[in-house]
Amino acid sequence: MSNTKSKSVTFENIKKIFKDPQSGQDVAAVGGVSFRIEPGELVTLLGPSGCGKTTVLRMLSGFEQPTSGKIFIGEDDVTDTPPNKRDTAMVFQSYGLFPHMNVSENVAYGLKLRKVPANEISEKVQRFLEMVGLESMAKRPPSRLSGGQQQRVALARSLIVEPSVLLLDEPLSNLDALLREQMRVEIRRLQKSLGITAMYVTHDRVEAMSLSDRIIVMKLGKIIQMGTPSDIYRDPVNTFVAGFVGKVAFFPCEVKDIASKCHVEIKGKHFEAPRWSEKLKYGDKALIMARPESLSIGEAGEGVEDGIVTANIYLGNSVETWVKTDLGNVLVQIDNPDVKKIWNEGEKVSLSFDPSLTKVLVDDLERE
Amino acid sequence: MNKRLINFIFTMLFIILVGSWIYTSVRNEFLKQSRAAQRRTVETVTAGFPSEYEHIDEWLNILSEEANDYKIAFISEIPMPGEKLSSKPEGDSELVNLIETSQNDSEFSKGFDNAAYEEIYRSVKNWKVGTKEEQALFFAPAVSLKTHELEGALIFAFSTDGEQGFMRMLNTLFVGAFILFAVVIWQLMLSRDPIVGFALAGLFLMTLTFVAYPLFEALRLSFIENGKFSLSIWKTILQSEGYMSALWGSLKLGCWTATFSTIVGFLFAFVVSRTNAPCKKLISTMGVLPVISPPFSLTLSIILLFGNNGLITRWLRVIGLNFSIYGLPGLVLVQTMGMFPIAFLTLVGVLQAIDSTYEEASLNLSATRFKTFSSITFPLAIPGLLSAWLLVFTTSLADFANPLLLAGDLKVLSLESYIEVTGMNRLGHGAALSILLLLPTLTAFLAQRFWVSKRSFVTVTGKPSGRITELTTPTVRRILTGIIFVIVFMLILLYGTIFAGCFVKNWGIDYTFSLENITEAITRSKDALFDTVTLAAAATPIAGIIAMIAALLIVRRKFHGKRFLEMLLMTPFALPGTLVGISYILAFNHAPIILVGTAAIIIINYVIRELPVGIEGGIASLRQIDPSIEEAATDLGADQATVFRTVVLPLVRPAFLSSLSYTFVRSMTAVSAVIFLISARWYHLTVLIYNFSENLRFGLASVLSTVLIIIVFGAFGLMRLLVRENTNLMKNVT
Repeated sequence: MSNTKSKSVTFENIKKIFKDPQSGQDVAAVGGVSFRIEPGELVTLLGPSGCGKTTVLRMLSGFEQPTSGKIFIGEDDVTDTPPNKRDTAMVFQSYGLFPHMNVSENVAYGLKLRKVPANEISEKVQRFLEMVGLESMAKRPPSRLSGGQQQRVALARSLIVEPSVLLLDEPLSNLDALLREQMRVEIRRLQKSLGITAMYVTHDRVEAMSLSDRIIVMKLGKIIQMGTPSDIYRDPVNTFVAGFVGKVAFFPCEVKDIASKCHVEIKGKHFEAPRWSEKLKYGDKALIMARPESLSIGEAGEGVEDGIVTANIYLGNSVETWVKTDLGNVLVQIDNPDVKKIWNEGEKVSLSFDPSLTKVLVDDLERE
Repeated sequence: MNKRLINFIFTMLFIILVGSWIYTSVRNEFLKQSRAAQRRTVETVTAGFPSEYEHIDEWLNILSEEANDYKIAFISEIPMPGEKLSSKPEGDSELVNLIETSQNDSEFSKGFDNAAYEEIYRSVKNWKVGTKEEQALFFAPAVSLKTHELEGALIFAFSTDGEQGFMRMLNTLFVGAFILFAVVIWQLMLSRDPIVGFALAGLFLMTLTFVAYPLFEALRLSFIENGKFSLSIWKTILQSEGYMSALWGSLKLGCWTATFSTIVGFLFAFVVSRTNAPCKKLISTMGVLPVISPPFSLTLSIILLFGNNGLITRWLRVIGLNFSIYGLPGLVLVQTMGMFPIAFLTLVGVLQAIDSTYEEASLNLSATRFKTFSSITFPLAIPGLLSAWLLVFTTSLADFANPLLLAGDLKVLSLESYIEVTGMNRLGHGAALSILLLLPTLTAFLAQRFWVSKRSFVTVTGKPSGRITELTTPTVRRILTGIIFVIVFMLILLYGTIFAGCFVKNWGIDYTFSLENITEAITRSKDALFDTVTLAAAATPIAGIIAMIAALLIVRRKFHGKRFLEMLLMTPFALPGTLVGISYILAFNHAPIILVGTAAIIIINYVIRELPVGIEGGIASLRQIDPSIEEAATDLGADQATVFRTVVLPLVRPAFLSSLSYTFVRSMTAVSAVIFLISARWYHLTVLIYNFSENLRFGLASVLSTVLIIIVFGAFGLMRLLVRENTNLMKNVT
C-alpha cells in the first residue's frame, strides 16, 4: 500500500525567536534551520531537551509561526497556513485523545470534519482499528485503555486522515521500556507500509537509531548533523554528536599527517584512522574517538591509556567493563564473553582500540 | 507579510474614501433638509405677518408662546449699511439683546441687507442667544399682507440642537463602523485564526462598554454639578452626618455579621471535618442551603415571626417583653443566617486540607485534645478564618435586600444610595454613595484575594488522608452538635414559616387556613414571573458561553492586554449591586447607548455580573485539561469554532453547567442592581415580593418566595443530575 499522496517537506532558513517572559529578551529557540525530507522518508529530530526540536515540529504542524524563513509541504508554501488547513497529522506525547468520545469516535473525528459519508467512515475506522489491532476496543472510552493502546488509537486517528506528513512528538516517552520497543516496530511498520512522510521527535538515541531513515541532530536551535543512523554513529561531525548518539571514549592525539588516511600519534604510538574532521590539519591537537565495541583491554602498559577495572556488567551476549582512567570512566564492550578474558575488578589494565573503526575529531571538549 | 500589510492599507484607504463620501453626502443632505424645514417655518411665519401695525405686539406674543423650536424678534426699520438701529427691536428679550449688541457684525448687516431686498438670509455662523449656545439666525423681510410694503425685518433664532445631535450620532456611527471594519478586515487579512481575533475584540468591546464605561460614568457624575466639574457632591456627602452615619452603619453591620457568621461557619466546618458527629450530611446540607435561598425569604420569615405583629412577638408581649426586630440586631441575625454558609464553605475547605497527621503528632507528644486544637488546628485555620470573615464582610456591605425590609432606623449605604436615586432623583449623590460603599468592599475583597489567601499554611500534598483524628471528647461533641442543631432547627423553622405563610388568611391577624393568597399572588404576579424567568433564561446561555470562551482564551492564548481583560471581566464580582445598577442607569440613559427600560439592559447586567464565577470555574476546569487534546482536534482540521463546540465545551461540561445554573439562579434572585433597571414593561419577581411586603401583604410575599425557592432548588437539582450523568467520562481528563 504505497502512498502517492506523500510529499516532501522543506525548511528554508527557519528562525523562531521567543520573548523570554522574565527578562523580556529575545531568545532564539530555532536559529536558521534548513533541511529537506524526501517523500515517504522518516526523519528523526534528535537532541537534548531545549534544543528546539519540538519547536521545529510544531512549526511544521502550524502551532508555532516561524519568525522568518519558509516552510514547504511538497511544492506548497505553508508558512502562513493555520494548523487546521495543513495536511499534517500529529501524534502527541500525551496522546491528546478526546476523553468524551470512545475509541471509534476518536478515530472518526478527522473524517467527520472532512464530511466523509457515514458508511465510508465506519468502514474506514474499522480498517484502521484492525491495522493497529484494536478492533475489539472500538466502543471503549480512552480512559479504559492501557498506555500502549491509547497510543495506537492516537496513531490510527492521525493515519486515517491520510496526511501528507505524519508528525510524532516523543510518542513513546510515556510508555514502559518493553512497550516502547513494540511500538517502535509498529510505528515503523505502519509508516513504511503506508509510505507516508514522517517527522519524529525524540531525545532517545536508541529510538532514533532504530526508527529513522535519517536523523537530524540538533543542539541549541541549530542542526549539528543530518545523516543516516550509521553515518551519525560512525562518522559524527563533532564530539557532541559522537557522545549523544552512543557511548564513546576520546583519546587526545596529535595529527601527524593527512593523506588518504589521518595519521595520528598518541604517547609515541602511531595510528591511522579512516575518518577525520575536515578542519584538522598537520600538527593539530585532536581527539580520536572509539566506541565501546572497538575498544579492547590488555595488560597494563600495553595500550594507549592505563586504568583500573571498576565494574563488570554481564549482559549475556556481551560484558560491559568500566575502566577508570585519567581521561574519565571508559566503557569497554567485550562481545562473546564466554571465549574472552574478563578482567577482575581492581585489576590494573590498559586500553587499546581498533584504529579502522575510529574517527579523528577536533578537540572541542569543555574541560574544567 | 509586507504584501498583505500593503493590501490591508489599500483596503482601508478605499474604505475611508468610500466612507467619507457617504458621510459627507448623508451629512449635507440632512443639513439641507433641516435647513429647508427651518426656512419653510420662516416663510410660513413671515406670511402671517399682520397687516395692522398695532397687532404686531400681540402677534409676536402669540408666536413666542406657541413656538418651541425658535425665538422671534421684529425690527420696524431696517438699518442702512453702516447705520445703527433707530428703534428698539420687539419680541424675545434675549434675542433683542443679541440684536442690539451685535448689530454691527457683518452677518447682521448682510441679514438686514437681504431682508431689505425681501430675501430670507440664514447666518453662516451660529450665535449665542441668552444662555443657549449654537443658535442659527434667520433674517426675513416683514411684508404687510394688505399693502405689500416692507414693514421691517423679522429675526428668528433656531436651535441647532437637533442638527448637532444628528451630527454627533453620525460621527459616532461612522467612527464605530470604521473601527469595526478595520478590526474585521485586519483579522481576516492578517491573522491566522480570525475567529480568536473576533472573540477577543468582542470581549474587549463588551467589557469596555458594560464594565468600564458605566463605572467611569458613575465616577464622573459624582464630580459634576449643574453640568460642571465640582466637588460639591462629595463635600456634602463627607460633611453630612446622615451619610456618615450610613457608612458607619454599614461597617458596623458588616463587622457583626462577619464575626457571627465566621463563628457559626467554623462551628459547622469543624464538626463536619474534624469530628465523628452524627448526621454530618444533614449538617453540611443545611450549612449550604441558605446561600442559594432567594433574597427576602429569610427576612420575610423573621418579620412573620418577630415583626411588630409577628407570631412570637405576640407571645413575648403576653409575658411582657417588648422589642423591635427592625434595626441592627435583627439585620445581624438575618444576615448571619443567610451568610454563614460562605464562611462554612471556605472553612470546610481549609480544615479538610489540614493534614490530620499534625494533630496525631501533637496527641502523640501527649498534648491534650484541647491543647492540640488550640495550638495546632486553630492556628493553622487562622488564614482561612480571616478569609471567611472578609468574604462575609464584603457580602454584608453589598447586601441590599435584607436592609430594605429590616433596616428600621439603621442607615446603611446600599439603602441610602437607593433612596437618593429613586426617592430624591439625585443620581449623582446615589453614585457617590455607592462608590463610597465600594471602598471598604474593594479593600476587603483585595485583602482576601491577594494577602490572606497567600498566607495560607495549607499545603496540598496530593494525598488527602481519609482518617479523622477525633479532637473532641463525647461531651464537647454533644454540646457542639447541640448548638448546631439549634441553628439547623431555626433555619428549618424560618423556611417552614414562609411555607406556612402561604396558607394563612392574614398573618398576624387571622390565622385561618386559606388558599386565597395563592390564587391572588398567582394572578397578580403572572406577568412578573414570566418576565423574571424570560430574562434569566435569556441571560443564562449567553453568560455560560461567554464565560467558557473567555476562560479558554485566558488559559490557552497569549495576547496583549490579557491581564487588563481579566481584570475587567472579574471586576463586577467585587462591585456592590447598587453601584452596578446606578452606574447602568447613569451610563445607558443617554446617547450613544440608550438601553434604560429595555430587557437588554437587565440581561446585560445579569451576564456581566455572573460572568466572573463562570470564568473562574471554566479556568479551573481548563487548567486540568491537556492542551494537546485541543491541538489534536485543530491538527485534524477543526477550526477554532469547531474545536470549541466539539471538544472544549464537552470537556468543561460540569463547569459550563454550573455556570449556567449559577447564572440562572442568581438572575432569578437578583435584587440590588435589577431594582434600578426594571421598568413597567420588564418587572422582576423579587421587586414584587418587596412591594407586597412593604404593603404588609405577607401572604402574597410568602407565596412568591416559595415559588422562587422551588425554582431555585429545581435549577440546582437539575444541574446536579446533568453533571452526574457524565462523571465517569470526566474523571480521566489528562
